[in-house]
Amino acid sequence: MAGEIDTIFALWCVVLFLLVAPVFVFMTWCVIKYRAGRDVDRTHREARNTAVELSWTIIPLLISLVFFFWAGGIYLDQQSAPPDAMVITAIGRQWMWKFQHPGGQWEINDLHVPVGQSIRINIQSQDVIHSLYIPALRIQQEAVPGRTTMLWFKADRVGAYRLFCSELCGVDHALMAGTLYVMSPADYQNWLRQSGASQTLVAGGKRLFDSYGCSGCHVNSDTVRAPPLAGLLGSTVPLRDGGTVVADDAYIRDSILQPGKRVVAGYKPVMPSFEGAVSQADLGELVAYIKSLGQENERMP
Amino acid sequence: MNPSDAALRDLRVPAPVLAVPDDYLHVEQTLGSWILTTDHKRIGILYLVSITGFFVLGAIAAGLIRLALIVPDGSILSNDVYNRVFTLHGVIMVWFFLVPSIPNTLGNFLLPLMIGAKDVAFPRLNLLSWYIFVIASLFTVFVMIWGGVDTGWTFYTPLSTQYSNSYVLTAVFGIIVVGFSSILTGMNFMVTVHKLRAPGMTWFRLPLFVWSLYATSLILVLATPVLTIALILLFADRAFGLAIFDPANGGDPVLFQHLFWFYSHPVVYVMVLPGMGVMSELVTAFSYKKIFGYKFIAFSSVGIAVIGFFVWGHHMFYNGMSPFAGLTFSLMSFIVAVPSAIKVYNWAATIHKGSIRLDTPMLYALGWIGLFVIGGVTGLMLASTAIDGQVHDTYFVVAHFHYIMVGATVVAFMGGIHFWWPKITGRKYSEPWGRVSALLMFIGFNMTFAPQYVLGYMGMPRRYAVYPPAYQVLNVLSSAGATVLALAYIFPMIYLIWSLWYGEEAGDNPWGAKGLEWLTTSPPPKHNFEHTPMVDFDPYDYPNVTPEK
Amino acid sequence: MSTAVGIKVEEHFHNAEQQRETAKLGMWVFLLTELLLFSGLFVSALVIRVLHPDSVTAVALHLKFWIGATNTAILIVSSFCMSGAIESSRLGLRRPMIFCMLATAGLGVLFLMLKGYEYDRDYVEHMTPFLSFRRYELVGDPASRLFTDLYFVITGLHAIHLTIGIGIMLVMSWLASRPHFLERHQNRIEITGLYWHFIDLIWMIVFPTLYLLNR
Ligand code: HEA
Ligand code: HEA
Ligand code: HEC
Ligand code: CUA
Ligand SMILES: [Cu+2]
Repeated sequence: MAGEIDTIFALWCVVLFLLVAPVFVFMTWCVIKYRAGRDVDRTHREARNTAVELSWTIIPLLISLVFFFWAGGIYLDQQSAPPDAMVITAIGRQWMWKFQHPGGQWEINDLHVPVGQSIRINIQSQDVIHSLYIPALRIQQEAVPGRTTMLWFKADRVGAYRLFCSELCGVDHALMAGTLYVMSPADYQNWLRQSGASQTLVAGGKRLFDSYGCSGCHVNSDTVRAPPLAGLLGSTVPLRDGGTVVADDAYIRDSILQPGKRVVAGYKPVMPSFEGAVSQADLGELVAYIKSLGQENERMP
Repeated sequence: MNPSDAALRDLRVPAPVLAVPDDYLHVEQTLGSWILTTDHKRIGILYLVSITGFFVLGAIAAGLIRLALIVPDGSILSNDVYNRVFTLHGVIMVWFFLVPSIPNTLGNFLLPLMIGAKDVAFPRLNLLSWYIFVIASLFTVFVMIWGGVDTGWTFYTPLSTQYSNSYVLTAVFGIIVVGFSSILTGMNFMVTVHKLRAPGMTWFRLPLFVWSLYATSLILVLATPVLTIALILLFADRAFGLAIFDPANGGDPVLFQHLFWFYSHPVVYVMVLPGMGVMSELVTAFSYKKIFGYKFIAFSSVGIAVIGFFVWGHHMFYNGMSPFAGLTFSLMSFIVAVPSAIKVYNWAATIHKGSIRLDTPMLYALGWIGLFVIGGVTGLMLASTAIDGQVHDTYFVVAHFHYIMVGATVVAFMGGIHFWWPKITGRKYSEPWGRVSALLMFIGFNMTFAPQYVLGYMGMPRRYAVYPPAYQVLNVLSSAGATVLALAYIFPMIYLIWSLWYGEEAGDNPWGAKGLEWLTTSPPPKHNFEHTPMVDFDPYDYPNVTPEK
Repeated sequence: MSTAVGIKVEEHFHNAEQQRETAKLGMWVFLLTELLLFSGLFVSALVIRVLHPDSVTAVALHLKFWIGATNTAILIVSSFCMSGAIESSRLGLRRPMIFCMLATAGLGVLFLMLKGYEYDRDYVEHMTPFLSFRRYELVGDPASRLFTDLYFVITGLHAIHLTIGIGIMLVMSWLASRPHFLERHQNRIEITGLYWHFIDLIWMIVFPTLYLLNR
C-alpha cells in the first residue's frame, strides 16, 4: 500500500506541475516581453473570452478528478480490513501507546508484527484524542475516546520503523512515539514467547511495586514528590550533584538499594533504602517491571 | 513636484508643512481625535498599528519555534513551553493578525473610497469593533503569555475541556469576544457595499477588491457565530462540566471538530480572499491593462465563499468519519479549488500584452502567484483522501498553510500596503529597499517552508518539540530561512516608518492607476471626496495604448 | 395627536431613504449571524438526538410542556404588540406606540418569569446535571445529562437575548417618550422591532426542537 500511495503522490506532483508550470512560464515570458517601455505589439488585447475561461475551469477539474477517484479508492480500501487479519488492540493514553496481541502479550510504545500478514489494529483512547501514525506504511488513524477506530496494513518488508502519535494530546505529545518491528513469522513467534515469559516477571514486579509501597510515592502521590519511572531505562538522569547518569539495570538496582547514593536533581533524598528488605528475586522482578515502563530514546536503524 | 521640495528632500529634512493641510491625517491632531474617531480611514490606521503589534508578537513566537527546532532533543524549550509557544503563535497569527489584516486595514481604508462613499455604513460600530478587537486580543495575549495555553489553536476536545492544565478558559473567552469584532466588521462591509455605492457605481463596476471584501464579509457573518457557539459550549464544558463533548458522559468530542472546522475552514478563505482582491488591483495597475475576465473573477470570489462552507470535513478524514462523508468532503474540496484556479489563470492572462512595470508591489504580486499556487495545489493533495493519511498532522500541512497564509496573504498584504502607502500617507517609500525586501521575502520564505514539505512527507509530525535526529538537517535549513524571512519583515517596517517623515511627496496618483481612490487627493480629505463622484466608466479602464514612460 | 415622522440624516448618507434602508439591512445581517449562532446549538441537539434517541425522549418527557406552550403564546402576542408599536410609530402616534412597546416588554418579562418558574421546577426535580453539588436524578444514563444540559444552554441563551431585548425596549420607550423623537429617529423603532420579532422567531424554533420533537 505504501508503494501505491507513493505512486499516486508522485504522479499527482507531476500532473499538478504540468497544470501550473505553463502559468509560470507564460507569466515569465510576458513579464520579459511586455516590460513597460519595450516597443512590442500590444494590439488585439482581450478582456474576455468565455471559451478560454471555460476550458481552464473544466479541464483542470476533470484531470484532478482522476486523482479524487484513485485516492478515494485507496481510502475505501483502508477502511475495510480483510476478515482474516490478525487483530491487535492499541490503546492510547497520555503519553504512551499500549499494544495488546491476540495471545494476551502486551507492550508499551513498541509494536512487533509478523511480515506478510494482514494486521488490523483496533484503536482506542483512555483520555484525549491521539493518532496512531506509521509513516513508513503511509497510514494513520485517530484514537477517539469513546469509540473504537481501526486501521489495517500488511507490511511487506522486515525492519524497524517509527511510529508516532500525530494528534496533539498534551504536554508530552512529542514523546508518545515508538518503533514498529516487522519480523519474520518465526521471529515473531519467538518474540511472543519471550515477552510472554518476561511478562510474568513484569507482572510479578508490578505486584511487588505495590506491596513494597513504591507506588505510594512514585504513582500519583500528593504528599511525596518522587520522579516518575516511565521511560527511565536508557534515559539520561540529571543528578543533584550536577552530574548525569545513564539509567541501566545497575543504576535501577542501586537506586532501590541505596537511593541516597545518587539522588535525582530536583528531588529530596527521602526514599528509604530497601537494602535487606528486598530479596534478590524480588529485586529482579522489580527491575524488570521498571524497565517495562516504556523504553524511550532508542536508537533508530 | 516643485523644485524647492526636491531641494529640501536632498537636505534630508522633513518636507515643510507650508499651509496646514486638511486631509484626514491633519484635520485634528489630538490623541482624542484618533481614539474616538469614526473616520474609516483613521480606524484603518488604528487597526494597522494594532495588528502590526500582534504580528511582531506572533513572529517572536515563530522565532522561538524555529529556534527550538534547531536541535532534535528539545533541549532549548521544554515540551510544555514549546506547546504553549506554538499555541500562542497560532492563535495570534490567525485571530489577531491574519483575519483582521487586509479587511480591517486596507479594507477599512479603501472600501468607502473605492465605491465613492463618505464612510462605511455604521461608523460608530466600526470604532466599537476596533475597541472590542484590541481589548479582547490584548486580554487573550496577556493570558496566553503569563499563563499559557497548550492545546494548539484548534482547541480539540477533550484535551481542552478536561485534560489541559492551562488557561484555556480565559483564552477561549477572549477569542469569543474577538469574534464579535469580526461579525461587526463583516456586517458593516456588507451593508456598505449594498447601500452606499456612489451614483453610477453598479455591481459590475466595483473594483474586484470590493467583491472580494464582500465575499469575505459574507463568510465572517455566517461562520463566526458558529465558532462563537462552539467555544461557548467548550467554555461551559470546562467550567461547568456540561459534557457536550465529553465521551464519558455521552458527549461527542468529534462534534467539536465539526463545529470548529465549520468555522475554521471558511475562515481560511477570509484570510485569502482579500489577498486575492489586492492581487487583482496590483496586477492590473502594473500591467496597465484591463483585467481579463472581470465577471469570472468576481463570481469566483463569491463561489469560494459559498462552496467553502461545504468542505470542512477535509480536516478530519482520519478521525473515524464514515468513508462516504470523507469522500464527499474530498470531492467538495476539489471543487472549491476551481474558482481559485480561475483567478490564477485570469491574472496570467491579464499580464499578457500589458505594459508591465516591476515596481515593489508588482514584485510582491508575482511572488504571490508562485507561492499561492504551490500552497493551493498541495492543498489539493491534502484533499486527496489517501494522501492525507500519510501527511495529515505532519509538517506537510504546516508547509501548506504557511504557503497560503504567509506566502499568499501576508505577501498580498505587504504588496497592498506598498501599493496604497502613497495614498494612505501621502509619501513615497524607498523603491530600491522595497524591491530588495520583496526579493528577500520570496527567498527567505521558500527556504523556510519548502523543506517542511519534504519533512512532512518523510513523516515528521507537527507540534513535536522533540523529533528523531534524522529530520534535523532540514529543520536547521528551515530555521536559517526564517532568519532571512525575519529581515524581509524588518526592513519594510523601518523604511516605511522612515518615509513618513522623510519620504518624497507622492502626489495623488503616483502609479497612474485607475479606481476612485486615486481620483481624490493623497492623503484623502476627511470625507474622501470634494464632491460625490459620478461613475460612468468601467473598472480598470486602462487605455488601449502603451503609455509613454 | 400625531406628530411628524422622519429621521435625521447622518453626514455620510445622501438622504433619509438610504439611511433607513442601510439600518434595516444592517439589522438583517446581524440577525443572520444570530440565527447561525443558534443553529450551532440546534445541530448539536439533533446530533445528540440521533446518537441517543431514548435518553433524549426520556428527558423531553420531563420538560414542562405547558409552560413552554404558554410561553410560545405569550411571545406571539408580544410580536403583535410590537407590530402595533411599529405601525403607530409610522403614523406618528406617540402615545399608542409607547403603550404597545411597554406591553411588549411586559409580555417579555412575563415570559421570563414563567421560564424562571420552570427552571425552579427543574431544580426541584434534580434536573440540573451541571450543578456539581446537586445529584442528577432524572434518568440513569449519561446521555440524558447531555440533552438536559443542552436544554439549559439553549433556553438560557434565548433568555439572555430576551433580557437584552426587554432592556432595549425599555430604553427605547423612555427615549421615544421625549418630544421630537419620532421626527428624528423613527427608524430606530423599526429596527428594535426587527430584533424583537427575531427573538420570538428563535423561540418558535426552540420550542419544537426541545419540547415537541422528542415527545
Ligand atoms: C489562507 C488559508 C488557507 C487556504 C486558502 C487554504 C486552501 C485550501 N486548503 Fe488548506 N489549510 C489551511 C489554510 C488554508 N487552506 C490551514 C491553516 C490548515 C491547517 C489547520 C490546522 O490543522 O491547524 C489547512 C489544512 C488543510 C487540509 C487538512 C490537512 C490535514 O490536516 O490533514 C486540507 C485537506 O484537504 C486542505 C485543503 C485545502 C484546499 C483544497 C484549498 C484550496 O482552496 C486551494 C485552491 C488553490 C489552488 C488549487 C491553486 C490554484 C490553482 C491552479 C494554479 C490550477 C491548478 C488547479 C487544479 C488542478 C484544480 N487544507
Ligand atoms: C498568519 C499566520 C501565520 C504566520 C504569518 C506564520 C509565520 C511563521 N510561522 Fe507559523 N503557524 C501558524 C500561522 C502562521 N505562522 C499557525 C496557524 C500554526 C499552527 C499552530 C498550531 O499548531 O496550533 C503555525 C505553526 C507553525 C509551526 C509549526 C509548529 C509545530 O507544529 O510544532 C512552525 C514551525 O516552523 C511555524 C513557523 C513560522 C515561521 C518561521 C513564520 C515566519 O513567517 C515568521 C517570520 C518571523 C520570524 C522568523 C521571527 C522574527 C524574529 C524576531 C522578531 C525575533 C527573533 C527572536 C528569536 C529568534 C528568539 N509556524
Ligand atoms: C518515601 C517515598 C519513596 C518510596 C517508598 C520509594 N521511593 Fe523511589 N524515589 C523516591 C524519591 C524522592 C526519589 C528521587 C531521589 C533519589 O534519587 O533518591 C526516588 C528515586 C527512585 C529511583 C531513581 C529514579 C530516577 O529517575 O533516576 C528508582 C529506580 C526508585 N526510586 C525505585 C523505587 C522502588 C523500586 C521502590 C520500592 C521498592 C521505591 N522507589 C520506593 C521516593 C520513594
Ligand atoms: Cu498522543 Cu499526541
Ligand atoms: Cu480546510
